[in-house]
Amino acid sequence: MYSLHAITNSVQNWLNARLSSTWVLIIESLIVIVLAIALFAALGLILVWLERKVAAHMQIRLGPNRLGPAGIFQTSADTLKLILKEGLTPDGADKFLFNFAPFVVMIVAMLLLAPIAFANGFQIWNINIGVLYISAISSLSVIGILIAGWASNNKYSLLGAMRSGAQIVSYELSAGLSILTIVVLTGSLQMTDIVQAQQNGWWIFKGHIPVIIAFIIFIIAATAETNRAPFDLAEAESELTAGFHTEYSGMKFALFFLAEYINIFIVCAIGATLFLGGWMPFHMGNWTQFNHVMDFIPSSIWFFGKTFFLIFLIMWFRWTFPRLRVDQLLNLEWKYLLPVSLFNLLLVTLIAIMNWHF
Amino acid sequence: MFIKEYISEIAKATKSLWTGMKLTGHYFVRPKTVITQQYPDNRDTLKMADRFRGEVTMPHDENNQHACTGCTACELACPNATIKVITKFELTPENKKKKALDTFVYHLDMCTLCGLCVDACPSGAIQMGQNFEHSVYDRSTLTKKLNKPGSKIREGVE
Amino acid sequence: MDTSAIIFYAIAAFTLVMGLMAVTSSKIFRSAIWLLLSMVGIAALYFWMQVEFIAAVQIIVYVGGIVVLIIFSIFLTQQAGTKMPGPSLKRIIASALAALFGLTFSFNLINHYGFSSAASQPFSLSVSDIGVQMLSTTEHGYILPFEVVSLLLLSAMVGCIVIALKPPKENVERTVAAPENITVNITEPEEENVNVNIREPLIITEV
Repeated sequence: MYSLHAITNSVQNWLNARLSSTWVLIIESLIVIVLAIALFAALGLILVWLERKVAAHMQIRLGPNRLGPAGIFQTSADTLKLILKEGLTPDGADKFLFNFAPFVVMIVAMLLLAPIAFANGFQIWNINIGVLYISAISSLSVIGILIAGWASNNKYSLLGAMRSGAQIVSYELSAGLSILTIVVLTGSLQMTDIVQAQQNGWWIFKGHIPVIIAFIIFIIAATAETNRAPFDLAEAESELTAGFHTEYSGMKFALFFLAEYINIFIVCAIGATLFLGGWMPFHMGNWTQFNHVMDFIPSSIWFFGKTFFLIFLIMWFRWTFPRLRVDQLLNLEWKYLLPVSLFNLLLVTLIAIMNWHF
Repeated sequence: MFIKEYISEIAKATKSLWTGMKLTGHYFVRPKTVITQQYPDNRDTLKMADRFRGEVTMPHDENNQHACTGCTACELACPNATIKVITKFELTPENKKKKALDTFVYHLDMCTLCGLCVDACPSGAIQMGQNFEHSVYDRSTLTKKLNKPGSKIREGVE
Repeated sequence: MDTSAIIFYAIAAFTLVMGLMAVTSSKIFRSAIWLLLSMVGIAALYFWMQVEFIAAVQIIVYVGGIVVLIIFSIFLTQQAGTKMPGPSLKRIIASALAALFGLTFSFNLINHYGFSSAASQPFSLSVSDIGVQMLSTTEHGYILPFEVVSLLLLSAMVGCIVIALKPPKENVERTVAAPENITVNITEPEEENVNVNIREPLIITEV
């Protein structure tokens, strides 16, 4: 299979031959930072455009269609507008924390990018606790929201932040448990191991019904953790104006907006890696001919294809389902998702011990 | 039994959610169902709905005749004094004085397009038109005279 | 001093400064945020030592769990946004003495015994090793504390469920029955002369 190892290794060797190890580290970090920021900008523009298009077509509308082909430059123009706008800080706000919160949200989103394998041999940090790292860092994202809600000195912001906190804290449980099912099957927390374990078929096909249930629970929990409809109580427009970012304007608002979409991309990338094989092409057991044909499609296309499929699924939820009430939200988590995923984890453990999976 | 109820509840919920997703998915994969009108582009082919209320008009036939008797029912019906009917007296062939329409003044800038005048008109002389491009540079041009110059009341309309 | 040492001192300084600010800040929410950043600094130290598992657990438990809980309780507190008054002189002196005592105590310890450099080899603990160690029954196994802690958590979970359970059925029936009685009382006409009957509005129109 074609690997990007050759490129990354040649860059490393070229730098090593010329500079000391410290400078190599610094320059490589700079390259990674530039790539990450470029990815963020591109993803922000594309995902916002995609969301508006999907929403429009599900509501029998056309969506943005004036600026460029199919309105693809609409989001760039919107970003330009937001950059030119004044970033207001309310009088009664805690000024430092108010300006600090968007950066917390953004930094957390950036940290989450580290262990994701974008293609064969193309990963920022192949950390040996990959999945645990992700669930640890993503528990930080709630803090940015709480800071923003508190520092705004606005009742809508505070209520939105409280709701968001309760929601993220409780849905993290079932997300974690559904991630654990795959960890149990693979026997490793490392992203590369999880992808390699799906060489002869993705877990969603190999793991029977329990893994499919885990996948569904993961998607529901991921939708809730990114504060998207039908779980968008934290920013419910009809009740709380805009929730925790009511007081934000200009680029500070744009950072929240961007971080929301980056978080969607990241949870979908994790879902694709765990359940749909990451960059691993579609393989069917022992059909070498078929597998060989599939290998011709580059691994990054597989990864982004699967991720965008999951993103589309989440957008589909958003534009179909009405918002839940707070008590319904917590009922769903504590009475349905958590017991089901606990029982499911037990089943998967049984499958893993008895080697019943393919 | 509790477990059975629990599972059937989940199954029902899943089914109803899937019904909703099927509908939006149905629209998503069929771009032809889009009902958006791309307005300035399709100006030539744009056809408004029959019941659309754009402005009050007074249709005239080919002989430059209208059906307005000058009864001022529309003026009375109008909630915000948009219409002012100026009447005059004409001599009938029998040398009798008869009330007739002189000028039908219509202030489009005050009109809420509610259509009460059309409902009130006993002779069907006014209608709601389909034109909706009303922006002008001078406000005074929004005060319109609806009966055409030299027009007369149609024969037989009382 | 190599790069690694510079990073270590930077992280340590960050942690200490944040801890100091958490103690001295007069706004309680800001204190919680400084405490949080101090915890993140400790997690960064664990990452620096390449014990990623401990670092992730530090973030999950302390930052994502305990500090978020603290922030929630601040949210639910009255007048949490107002500035707190400064401490009294007595308290300042007492805390300064306590800090001085702690400093001399630990300085004395370090001065006498120093840091042993026995662990010069880097840790090479994989996650599965930690898991095996947790559940092993051999001499250095942690099976007993692990099981005791899991029992504690289980009892906490059961306690939560018991608290959250609906009240027993008798009470439920009573609350359902009560509104019916009230409605019956209201709709009964008290005076015979009153013609207006809310339940049958059709009769009024006929009369």
